[in-house]
Amino acid sequence: MTSALAKIFSVSRSGTKVITPALNVLNQRLASSGSKDGYIYVNDTDPSMVSKDITDRAAQTIFLTELIRGMGITLAHIFKEPATINYPFEKGPLSPRFRGEHALRRYPSGEERCIACKLCEAICPAQAITIEAEERADGSRRTTRYDIDMTKCIYCGFCQEACPVDAIVEGPNFEFSTETHEELLYNKEKLLNNGDKWESEIAANIHADHLYR
Amino acid sequence: MSYFGIDRIFKVFQTMRSYGGIKASLYKLWRMDSLRPGILVGTDKYGNQYYENKSYFYGRNRWIEYAPKYGFDYDGSQVPAEWFGWLHYKTDLLPSQDPSRPNYKWMADHTENLSGTSEQYVPYSTTKPKIQAWFCKMTFFDGT
Amino acid sequence: MLRTTLAKVLNGAQFSPKNIAVITRAASDQAAKKPEKIEVFIDDIPVKVEPGTTVLQAAAMVGVEIPRFCYHERLAVAGNCRMCLVEVEKSPKPVAACAMPVMKGWRIKTDSELTKKAREGIMEFLLVNHPLDCPICDQGGECDLQDQSMAFGSDRSRFTDIDHSGKRAVEDKDIGPLIKTIMTRCIHCTRCIRFASEVAGVDDLGTTGRGNDMQVGTYVEKMFLSELSGNVIDLCPVGALTSKPYSFTARPWEIRKIDSIDVLDAVGSNIVVSTRTGEVMRIMPRVNEEINEEWLSDKSRFSYDGLKRQRLVTPMLRDSKGELKPVDWEVALLTVAKQLKNAGPSVGAIAGGFADAEVLVAVKDLLNKLGSEALCTEHTFPLDGSGTDLRSSYLLNNKIAGAEEADFVLLIGTNPRLEAPLLNSRLRKGYVHNELEVALIGPKVDLSYKYVHLGDSPSVLEQLVNGQHQISKKLTSAKKPLIIIGSEVLERPDGGAILSAVQKLCAATNPQTENWKVLNVLHKVASQVAALDIGYTPGVDKIRELSPKILLLLGADEGSIDKSDLSKDTFIIYLGHHGDNGAAVADAILPGAAYTEKQATYVNTEGRAQQTLTAVSPPGRAREDWKIIRALSEIIGATLPYDNLNEIRNRLDEVAPHLTRYGTAENANFFKQAEALSKSVKSQIDKTPFDVKLKELQDYFMTDSISRASPTMAKCVQAVIKQKQSKY
Repeated sequence: MTSALAKIFSVSRSGTKVITPALNVLNQRLASSGSKDGYIYVNDTDPSMVSKDITDRAAQTIFLTELIRGMGITLAHIFKEPATINYPFEKGPLSPRFRGEHALRRYPSGEERCIACKLCEAICPAQAITIEAEERADGSRRTTRYDIDMTKCIYCGFCQEACPVDAIVEGPNFEFSTETHEELLYNKEKLLNNGDKWESEIAANIHADHLYR
Repeated sequence: MSYFGIDRIFKVFQTMRSYGGIKASLYKLWRMDSLRPGILVGTDKYGNQYYENKSYFYGRNRWIEYAPKYGFDYDGSQVPAEWFGWLHYKTDLLPSQDPSRPNYKWMADHTENLSGTSEQYVPYSTTKPKIQAWFCKMTFFDGT
Repeated sequence: MLRTTLAKVLNGAQFSPKNIAVITRAASDQAAKKPEKIEVFIDDIPVKVEPGTTVLQAAAMVGVEIPRFCYHERLAVAGNCRMCLVEVEKSPKPVAACAMPVMKGWRIKTDSELTKKAREGIMEFLLVNHPLDCPICDQGGECDLQDQSMAFGSDRSRFTDIDHSGKRAVEDKDIGPLIKTIMTRCIHCTRCIRFASEVAGVDDLGTTGRGNDMQVGTYVEKMFLSELSGNVIDLCPVGALTSKPYSFTARPWEIRKIDSIDVLDAVGSNIVVSTRTGEVMRIMPRVNEEINEEWLSDKSRFSYDGLKRQRLVTPMLRDSKGELKPVDWEVALLTVAKQLKNAGPSVGAIAGGFADAEVLVAVKDLLNKLGSEALCTEHTFPLDGSGTDLRSSYLLNNKIAGAEEADFVLLIGTNPRLEAPLLNSRLRKGYVHNELEVALIGPKVDLSYKYVHLGDSPSVLEQLVNGQHQISKKLTSAKKPLIIIGSEVLERPDGGAILSAVQKLCAATNPQTENWKVLNVLHKVASQVAALDIGYTPGVDKIRELSPKILLLLGADEGSIDKSDLSKDTFIIYLGHHGDNGAAVADAILPGAAYTEKQATYVNTEGRAQQTLTAVSPPGRAREDWKIIRALSEIIGATLPYDNLNEIRNRLDEVAPHLTRYGTAENANFFKQAEALSKSVKSQIDKTPFDVKLKELQDYFMTDSISRASPTMAKCVQAVIKQKQSKY
């Protein structure tokens, strides 16, 4: 029924307009043909002052037709399936290459992967990474400081591209917003902890992408 | 029947029945803002339940029902890493079926985003101070 | 500079008409002697070179750089890396540019297809056995192999050994606490071996095996311990030899490099201080042909970790219980100023080995304003005869570079190998290439070259002066004789007599070269020459006599004076950067800056003024030394008339203009007058044998407050002692 109503109104509204736009364009063409540039007037033109048009506009205002048509559309959408998703219960699709919160990974043995080569620090365009390294007691090369300022980071993913041992990765997590700035100044402990938490998903992502790298 | 959409009304009752009656369904509707029929595909070790209903369009056909212990304190960051990929449509394999998911003993339990709680992360330095200051050993005027 | 007279400027700049005449004459002499030059063509560019020039040197003359690994300008040619292969027209095979002397009319092609192919082939051979561990290699980023494989290597790899079966692996060697070895990375250029045997004079390194089994090592389990060992790290073109203390701590691209001067000995080696995040990461030599060439001694190179330990970071005052308590600058300065005001002119100062010229002049001005003249240096120098009035009596007059030209050197009471390793390397260079003969009066020590040991008795010196000794003839007939006397023997009570005897001995020699200076004094600390130039009195006897109410120690840590020498109520102020002997006895501590933390002037044993630059800021509340004195002077009410570095440098210029002529060594020329004055010295040399403190390598590493605070230096001492006990 609503659609029927809408149709009636639309016919009554646009009955004359079937002709008028063409006329307008013609007017514009004629007006513009005088100028050498041949420009087209694109702004709103003044409403038509023919008595029939004035009456139509007055009737539409008086009978609140726009309001009713709007209500009609709203009513129609109640019965439709919504186009939005119901976060946090439903979540949008993500790529395995998604670049989210950083994590430092470990070898299957539990040994941290990072060898303090500092390539990520060197390539980081936002200079968000700070590394200090020294020789560990067993003679291996390890970091003593691995800080990422997550508020500087631009999530370009260069760090994980630069890493020769797949130690620093941008994990899948994007739900790490905080209430204070300082919580986003990640240190090595936090990053390793992220790696331990997310290893299942990080490993699956790397596996999903392994044919392309 | 389907022409007039009456089957949908039956479906609503069916769904309500599957969720355990009117009261439970209303609670669920209140908590999750929607009440939809779905197949329970799995439960993680934190008690979150994962549902799928392929009749919905891509993007809405998988959802999580946060564990009852969270009550109304549910949060997007409560999804553990194992189910993250499935829920985000990265993979169609359930965690139990996915061979690319390792299970090392050093892997840590999932925690939600703890910002604003007493357990929140507070940054600290992981290095020794660079300069070691000298503190005087006790030296007296007589030189002892 | 504008204030100096024209004559002074001319003299200082060595452009006096006399000098110019000498230069031109020398040039014409050479031209007459030299054989005809031959013409060769490098990439069709003609260049005339002397016969015997190698292809590589000829190419360098026209600015064509030929890649190389084994070749090094300061070492013998080995020709074993083959990286420098170039094509020579009409030669069937490419030739090794570093070892092949050019022939007349040769056309050398450094950019031809054959050359490129040869380089690619050599690079492929090198890389076949070189591990791909650049990310964990400390040389990464400053590695010759990386750079040259990018520039000259092939752009694709034929290496398909993915099952890791083929690459050579070599066991690492333990060659001491300074050098880390990763021998798998070695490309067998043998630079380290050549350095050890030619420059350092320690034949410890060598190769075993051949072909793929070749290994560089020490044959037996032995450490490579030398006072110059650190230089092999710079020489190694790959990451096979890297610095152990520096290992893994920084990358070359994140380092800030600041040119500076080393102050751990009196040589004043030119260094580059590498810093990162306000921390000194390493110290490397900077080329200065007149001082250290491109070498650096181990203490200068590795004791930087001492700059991070035992530091004075805050002012301290001794409280009523006798404990030193940290205080604010305000409290400290007010307390010290109050004491100074009460004391009036009864103030003394002792300058230690690390005091820079700026603080020396500031303290001198302050004490003079207070009416005191009790300014002393910690290290004694005889005051008899001309004393320290004539600079020629206390400088290494013939310059460090001049030492390698000498044909006879007499060392008296010194062990240059440990007191000034870079002077010793010059002497060794002369010994190896110039047939230099060396004689030593003093304890028998290992100088890394052969010398005639004349015993340690002072009577030998007397015999020499009288011309009765068997080597007297050699000394008088030598064309370029040098007498190097250690400052340590001059610290003896009979130092004046010894110096006078040496001056007599110098006057008896007949150097055949113009401007050749026989008398050379080798100091041990960096501040001594500047202090004497500024007018400090050497030795602390004056302080002992006066027993002032206030004693200011400018980093004086050698324990030259202790509490028993002073009256009980003497207030001791320590101004310095390390908590050492001086700080322990002090009543007030004013924390100063170490040499990497200030822009300061030091004068080396040659009399060459050089300046350090600020590499990092002083830790904690420490401040630049002269600024502390300036602040103190204002509180006392005797404000010193300089507020910034330029103004205090102007003051230095007024006191002694050469102190601000950086890089040039001002000549001192009054030998005759000094010798004449020395005749007035009546005291006799006593019979105590000459002795030096630094006899063996383990004595070398920890000699001052910085190196005493350094854990690396402590490890070196342990390593030397351990090596002594080993059967090799």
